Amino acid sequence: MNKPSTARSGAPLAEDLARARATVNEIIVDKGEVIDLAFSALLAGGHLLIEDLPGVGKTTLAQALSLAVGGDWQRIQFTSDMLPADILGVSMFRREGEQFEFRPGPIFANVVLADEINRATPRTQSALLEAMAEGQVTVDGRTHELPRPFFVIATQNPLDLTGTYPLPDSQLDRFLLRTRIGYPSAAEERRLLTEPDRRNLLKDMEPSLDPNRVMELIGLAGELHVSEPVLDYIQALVAATRSHPAVKAGLSPRAALALIQTARAHALVMQQDFCLPDNVRTVFPALAGHRLQPVAESGMDGDAVAAEILESTPVP
Amino acid sequence: MNRPATHLPLGPVAWTVATFLVAALPHLLAMPPVLGVVVFALCGWRLLVARKRWRLPPGWLRLLLTIAAIGLLAVSYGGLWGRRAATGMLCLMLAAKMMELSRLRDLRMVASVSLFLIASQFLFNERLVLLVYLFGGVLLALAALLRIQQLDVNRRTAPGGDVALLRQSALLLVSALPMALALWVTFPRLAEPLWGLPDEVMDGKTGLSDSMSPGSIANLFLDDSPAFRAEFAGEPPPPSQRYWRGPVLWRFDGDTWERAFLPSRTEAPRVPPGSNDYRYTVQLEPHERRWLFALDHPVRVPQDARLSLDFQLTRRNPITTLTEYSVRSNPDFTDMPRLPVTLRQLAVSLPEDRNPRTREMALELRERFEDDRALIDHVLDWLRTEPFYYSLETAPLGRHGADEFLFDLRTGYCEYYASAFAVMMRAADIPARVVTGYQGGFWQEGGQYLLVRNSDAHAWVEVWLEGSGWTRVDPTAAVSPARIRSGAGSVAGGGEGLEWLRALRNRYDRLQHLWNSWVLGFDADRQQRMMNFFGLPNLSRTGMALLMAGVLGLIVLALAWAWLRQPARSRDPVRRAWLRLARRMQRRGLGPGLGETPLAWAERVAHRLADGARFLELARDYCAIRYGDRGNEADRQRFIRAARRFPVRRAVEPRRAASV
Repeated sequence: MNKPSTARSGAPLAEDLARARATVNEIIVDKGEVIDLAFSALLAGGHLLIEDLPGVGKTTLAQALSLAVGGDWQRIQFTSDMLPADILGVSMFRREGEQFEFRPGPIFANVVLADEINRATPRTQSALLEAMAEGQVTVDGRTHELPRPFFVIATQNPLDLTGTYPLPDSQLDRFLLRTRIGYPSAAEERRLLTEPDRRNLLKDMEPSLDPNRVMELIGLAGELHVSEPVLDYIQALVAATRSHPAVKAGLSPRAALALIQTARAHALVMQQDFCLPDNVRTVFPALAGHRLQPVAESGMDGDAVAAEILESTPVP
Repeated sequence: MNRPATHLPLGPVAWTVATFLVAALPHLLAMPPVLGVVVFALCGWRLLVARKRWRLPPGWLRLLLTIAAIGLLAVSYGGLWGRRAATGMLCLMLAAKMMELSRLRDLRMVASVSLFLIASQFLFNERLVLLVYLFGGVLLALAALLRIQQLDVNRRTAPGGDVALLRQSALLLVSALPMALALWVTFPRLAEPLWGLPDEVMDGKTGLSDSMSPGSIANLFLDDSPAFRAEFAGEPPPPSQRYWRGPVLWRFDGDTWERAFLPSRTEAPRVPPGSNDYRYTVQLEPHERRWLFALDHPVRVPQDARLSLDFQLTRRNPITTLTEYSVRSNPDFTDMPRLPVTLRQLAVSLPEDRNPRTREMALELRERFEDDRALIDHVLDWLRTEPFYYSLETAPLGRHGADEFLFDLRTGYCEYYASAFAVMMRAADIPARVVTGYQGGFWQEGGQYLLVRNSDAHAWVEVWLEGSGWTRVDPTAAVSPARIRSGAGSVAGGGEGLEWLRALRNRYDRLQHLWNSWVLGFDADRQQRMMNFFGLPNLSRTGMALLMAGVLGLIVLALAWAWLRQPARSRDPVRRAWLRLARRMQRRGLGPGLGETPLAWAERVAHRLADGARFLELARDYCAIRYGDRGNEADRQRFIRAARRFPVRRAVEPRRAASV
């Protein structure tokens, strides 16, 4: 009997993915789940929001991810005086050619690290978010395609809120997953303190994948088998968010679709050739946490609601 | 007529035929053998058809054969009416159905009607063994229906072996028991039975007849079935006093003794105060006649019974079901201190041209003895000293019956003695009548009741004497005292080595007695008493029906509640097997969490199981089948078996003290 195991087709592709995952795991130790989530977001064709304190390794993660995936990467440090053009690029008039020439902004990269996105003004934020949603940039009436794959890892500091513009709930929906990194365990922290800086490893890192192969993997994830019981499970979870008393509005059908897609991607990351309820369960908090808006008096946040729903929904 | 598209396989056909035969067997045994042969032939032929894949006969042939079979039935029973003919008809029609057993629907029909057929045996007999038989038959019928269900493509059921079928059917039967019990207790009882047609119900079994000609009850002696049972309040009478009075016979035409239709008593006989009455309750088996049996002399009788002038106890209707009644009898009662002239005439009349030798001897004796008592004693002495023998094997009597018996044959049983003795008395001008009934009975120590069998049937004589009225004289006792002391069985001979069999039968009768008392005897009156016991008032029939509806409603509610509470049954047998395993693990405290996935659960508990690795393997297989849609039917069956056989044992916990 077949076991949940290696993908049916493109076995070398799956091996490359495994290698990429292993490489990132070497650099960011003890954060396997976050890394898997990041890969899942990438392979589901979505974007990732990391909400955590500075210094826990957000940037390193983004960098390692982009290096492992191959292709070019850009980092945009958001500030309050930033304009959309600083991200998207500008059309400049070239005197020689007597015409406007588009100079692409930092967003034209396969992996974009948008650091401290909440420091930018809403106008700038929305320019980024629109680009994320559309996969293209329109400047001065001309549309410029963004490279494929296009993966944004945005970070947000949840504590230092002075002088920031927190992302509105409606905009949070643009991120497929939201997660936290958290502190390393004591043992891992000791290794961090005693061993040479892991960021040096980044310099010698060989990319295991390239943009084309990532696109192939995204296609593979989209075709991954999801059986009836797993679909039942997904529907049950989504229905539970809609009837949960602490939630203003449950997950939308788009979110349900995203849940299936992310679960598939996660299954692919885990080297399975079909989707398990376990995949759904793993990605569900990251997917639903920022989409669920709890009523104020409930005293719960979206993550708590998501956890509660997972605990109380039987697996069919 | 549409030809069957597919051939019915042998398995379900065999189950159905077996069900039908088991249901029909009690009826077949009571039917003319030729009908039984027809039924068996049709069934056997149908099995052959299923085996050899022959074609079924055309419609016209089936019609012809069916009409012929019904004709045979009508001829055998002289019509199509009556219970026997009706059940025979049902058997025949079902057997005829074998000829067109071509679709699932037909199989279902035969199996379902067989259920009715099994129950219909209670129209004839309410014995305990039949209940056991009924359960067996119903078990078989349900299994057959389940087997037929397996053929139904629309409703796929898991294939199972024959044993699994029977187990499933037993489960169904057991789960129906509470409902049956509630119905039985609360169903409104009618004071009179719904049926009770006095036709040929006894299956050729003779009860005590209302006339007697010597030789007529011979076959009754060979019938060991119970006639009635009596429970006494207090001590039972000694064996020599156990004369159970039945029909009293006055008229004699030379061959046959018959009843005189005397008026009934309008008031209860007066009993001398301080007398030693016997109070007892009799459970009378159905015998299709009107009379009840009582010890001499019944003085307090049941409400719905009549007591005739000659102390015959009768009912208005024939006894067609088990009947219970209470009587008080006084052994010291004097019946008719004065004998009216008309009765005296009736009691001494004899046909003129019969039994000259007996009459001659009686006249001789009359001259020798002035006193009636002395004459009677002399005759009894004569019977005792002359070579008279008691035997059931004897010759029939001719025209001068008493002469032939008293002077030539001298071998016979109670009827011979009673008849000849009464003739002698009448010839000597002593009023005499013959009383038939039962004598003796078996005292069941364990059950504290007296069991009287049909083989205890007896006939004796009553003579009217000045001063003591009608007095019982038993000439048989003079010849064979053992017959009176220990019962007919002891003199009838045979069965010396069958003591254990008799003991077994007596023990079985105790069960039958309980069945009679608690199940068959649960009539309107007992039902009312039970309701009162539970604090319910006396209910009308409507009230009882409402109560029944209420109780049934409660049961249905309870069942519905239990059904709704149980987790929704999955249609996927693999999932059901997994959930069963989960319940077993739950019992060991290792069950899955509500929202826990199979793999997460397995990983959590594996180290606490003795066979943890195997459990993980099982969980992975389960995930592959259920979530990966992997594996063929064989894999699924293998998984189901593995899950069922998985031993849920906790791992031996490493002792903490040892590890420190």
